[in-house]
Amino acid sequence: MLLQLNNIFKWVQSGGQRIFLLKDINLEVKEGEFISIMGPSGSGKSTLLNVIGMLDTFDEGEYHFLEDSVHNLKEKHRSNLYKEYIGFVFQSYHLLDDLTVQENLEMPLIYKKFKGSERKAMVADMLDRFNIVGKKDLFPAQLSGGQQQLVGIARALISNPKLILADEPTGNLNSKQGEEIMDLFKQLNDEGVTIIQVTHSEKNAEYGSRIINLLDGRMI
Amino acid sequence: MFKNYFKIAWRTLLKNMFSSSINIIGLSIGISACMVILIFVWYESTFDNYHTKAKNIYRVVQHNRVPDQTLYWNITPYPLAEALRNDFPQIEMVTQTQGPVSQEFSVVEEADLKRFEEPRVLFVDKFYPKAFDLEWISGNPDNALDDINSVVLTETIAKKYFGISDESYKSVLGKTILNQDDEPLTITGIIKNVPGNSNQRFDILIPYEFFKTKNPGLAQNWSGNHQGTTFVVLPNTTKIKSLESKIAVWQKKYLKYEDDKRISYFFQPLIDIHNETLYGSSPGGYIMPSNILYTLSVVALFILVIALINFINLLTAQSTSRSKEVGVRKVLGSKRLDLIIQFIFENSMVIIGSLTLSVVLLNILLSKLNENLSVIDLQLELGFNHIGLIILIGFSTIILAAFYPAFILSAFNPIKALRNKVQFSGNNGVNLRKSLVTFQFVMVQLFVIAAIIVSLQMDYFKNKPMGFSSDSVVVTPVPDFEKLEVYRQALLGNNDISNVTIASGPPMAVNGLQLGTRFRLPEQSPEEALDAEIKIGDKHYLDFYEMELLAGKSFTTNKHAFDEFIVNETLLRRFGWSPQEAIGKKIQINEGPATIVGVVKDYHNNSFQREITPCIITNWTFFQNQAFIKIGGNNVVTIDRIKDIWENTFTGSAYSYGFLNDSIEKEYVLERLIYKGFTILSILAICIGCLGLLGLMSYIISRKRKEIGIRKVLGANILEVFSFFTKKFIGLITLAFIIATPLVYYFGKMWLETFAYRIELSVWMFLSGGCLTLIIAIITCSFQSFKAAIANPVKSLRTE
Repeated sequence: MLLQLNNIFKWVQSGGQRIFLLKDINLEVKEGEFISIMGPSGSGKSTLLNVIGMLDTFDEGEYHFLEDSVHNLKEKHRSNLYKEYIGFVFQSYHLLDDLTVQENLEMPLIYKKFKGSERKAMVADMLDRFNIVGKKDLFPAQLSGGQQQLVGIARALISNPKLILADEPTGNLNSKQGEEIMDLFKQLNDEGVTIIQVTHSEKNAEYGSRIINLLDGRMI
Repeated sequence: MFKNYFKIAWRTLLKNMFSSSINIIGLSIGISACMVILIFVWYESTFDNYHTKAKNIYRVVQHNRVPDQTLYWNITPYPLAEALRNDFPQIEMVTQTQGPVSQEFSVVEEADLKRFEEPRVLFVDKFYPKAFDLEWISGNPDNALDDINSVVLTETIAKKYFGISDESYKSVLGKTILNQDDEPLTITGIIKNVPGNSNQRFDILIPYEFFKTKNPGLAQNWSGNHQGTTFVVLPNTTKIKSLESKIAVWQKKYLKYEDDKRISYFFQPLIDIHNETLYGSSPGGYIMPSNILYTLSVVALFILVIALINFINLLTAQSTSRSKEVGVRKVLGSKRLDLIIQFIFENSMVIIGSLTLSVVLLNILLSKLNENLSVIDLQLELGFNHIGLIILIGFSTIILAAFYPAFILSAFNPIKALRNKVQFSGNNGVNLRKSLVTFQFVMVQLFVIAAIIVSLQMDYFKNKPMGFSSDSVVVTPVPDFEKLEVYRQALLGNNDISNVTIASGPPMAVNGLQLGTRFRLPEQSPEEALDAEIKIGDKHYLDFYEMELLAGKSFTTNKHAFDEFIVNETLLRRFGWSPQEAIGKKIQINEGPATIVGVVKDYHNNSFQREITPCIITNWTFFQNQAFIKIGGNNVVTIDRIKDIWENTFTGSAYSYGFLNDSIEKEYVLERLIYKGFTILSILAICIGCLGLLGLMSYIISRKRKEIGIRKVLGANILEVFSFFTKKFIGLITLAFIIATPLVYYFGKMWLETFAYRIELSVWMFLSGGCLTLIIAIITCSFQSFKAAIANPVKSLRTE
């Protein structure tokens, strides 16, 4: 068992009324799964993903990640937890514009206090694995969208997370680039990485082993 | 980790070249402006502090009660020093100086005679080097001034006279120079030049005994007009008040009954002299009132605080563009502390850059200031303590300006940051920024309008008719009265010289030279006499200066015993005479009686700060020591010609010349200083104020980007968006104007009232200041507003 959500509620107060963003979510994710979260705009897909990624809090319910009860953890422990086990991939890549490909890859390692020589080796490995050695000194603006997302995924993977969370990873890409990225995800999943992706596309959802449909914050 | 920070910081700086340079330049202008003012204040408030005995030295001053007022004098009778020395053993030391005065010296070197006119020759007794610190390069400080015919030179003079290099000062000792061409003086010492922050200005020291022997009458006179400066060194334990009252009793022994009644002596601490206006400037020195220094310090702090606020404002305004980075970094595992450290590091780099730049800027500013204020012999330097102060300022800047934005930035919620949904401190932030900018513009307008008023008053000084003509007048000394006529004829032989008059001075008193006397009707008692200025002229005087004669005629003769007066209208008013009535009347002055032969229309015998006072011009040969020469044609050639004629006529004297208009302008030194100060301050204020405005605008624009996008999509054109922004600060500047105007009006009026002749304040002075500021502000903001206005709305509306 990688993670388990029990009766998760999240709401905001608006004019004395509670507007539910997430309503009674129960979800269990095993290691090695590839889950697609689907649903119309505003159904709470991204919110759920952020809750799983511990970037967002929830108001009620329990969240167990491996051995830890996330709902009882302090901010600091929580961030240590996701730092260690979770990697994020975004629709608009969110690479740092001022850093080269190589430096972008290196950044999470810096925050995890890896030594310089180790970092170098790990970055070199990753560049190799993704076939982007030739692009290591380019800045994000010099890359195509597909290439940027490739770097984004490489960055998410560099510290060997157990779980990859991807928020519409192909949303900004054309269909061919999108396909390549999805293939990559599939391949990673085959290598044992657990993946949860948010997507609008039925086709992309098919890559996963399980589909979760959300409507108005509720799983259906 | 730090390498990474450094890399990011460097790239961000380069990427935001424009705003980073504004940040760096703005902060360094602020710091260096603040430092320049503080260094100036420090310099001006530590005059004569460097003497070892500074805290124990006092100047003896006298309060002189005349019927209608009390006069405060910083000079005291010559015999006072000796008398105090003899009668008060509790006074550690008494020393007296005379001067500085102008003296002529000649040096004979290998049969070659060189003459020099030295304007700062000080006569000092042998106690002087023991009381005051002089830096001796050569010679024995203990007995250098013991011999009556000795002389001590400063470095500069020694170099000038003997052309020696630094090592050979000793070789000059024992050499002889001639004073006023006849008295040989032996060089007994060489000292370093006096520091700029001393009120004891001199280039050459001559024993006081020498002066006394030359002027035996003055030296023994307790009540004369010519007096010396007396200093005492008092032990720490002295009770000043009780000593003063002992002296008040003791002085009866020496002073005449009526003098004893009106004169009392007091001790003024040496270190207070420079900042105390009561006693006026000491001979050869100037006064820097302490309230000006206080005001300046406050202004300096204001400038620094404003520069800091602007810096923080600009930084936080820029931080919106960093929000995405904050989000990404947080998601990738950065702790808040990491981000805080990163931003502090980054901002510290900017601050350190600004500090470095400000040291450079400061050096330039200081040398410019020294150059510009050479009239007061300013010698400002960047010392180690100043660098220390800069580092201290830098450190506090880092604490204030680096920590605050770092904390704000690092607190962003990563999800919101990634979606460009970061909200800053809400509307409070804007209002705070707005009030800061308004406050800055109050300062800007204060300085700008003040500069306008001061410059107009200066203009008034320049253009107001003085009642006499002073253009193209060259002044030379007349050292030998016997050769006066020869000199005049030789001059008039030149086609470019149209007129020459020989007199005691020009119609307006310059360089502090004004001969005073008292006048009355012969039948009145001396007590009824009133103050007047006396000028000695010749028959060409009125003509030369184009002064208008209202009645009577000019002089026809010059006499050893004067017998004719020409008076001004103001003097007539004391007697209620009309010009015609006055002709032929006899009046009595201290120097003797004479008949009024002419009445001139009032002319400005004082500079415009002061009223026109009663004036008497007389046909005396005494004190006719200046020649005024009206020139036309080629100045350079004519001036060379005058020099030739002068040197041929008065062989054996040192030639010097000047333009009358230059001397007149010197009367307005303080006003010009104030004018320069306000000009510099207003330029600084404009710079800093505009930076603040820039900061506010970029902040507003970054907040309103989406709003502009929506407005444009809904059909607003560029001009409408542009005015949307401009309207925002026009309101602020108008408010600032409304606050500034009464302040400037109040202080401007107060300042103008110190002048007898002044401009009237009028609305347009204020309005033009306000408009000027507004125009500058619009120009400042137009670039940013325009950029925001033409931006593609699609970009600003697109989020995730």
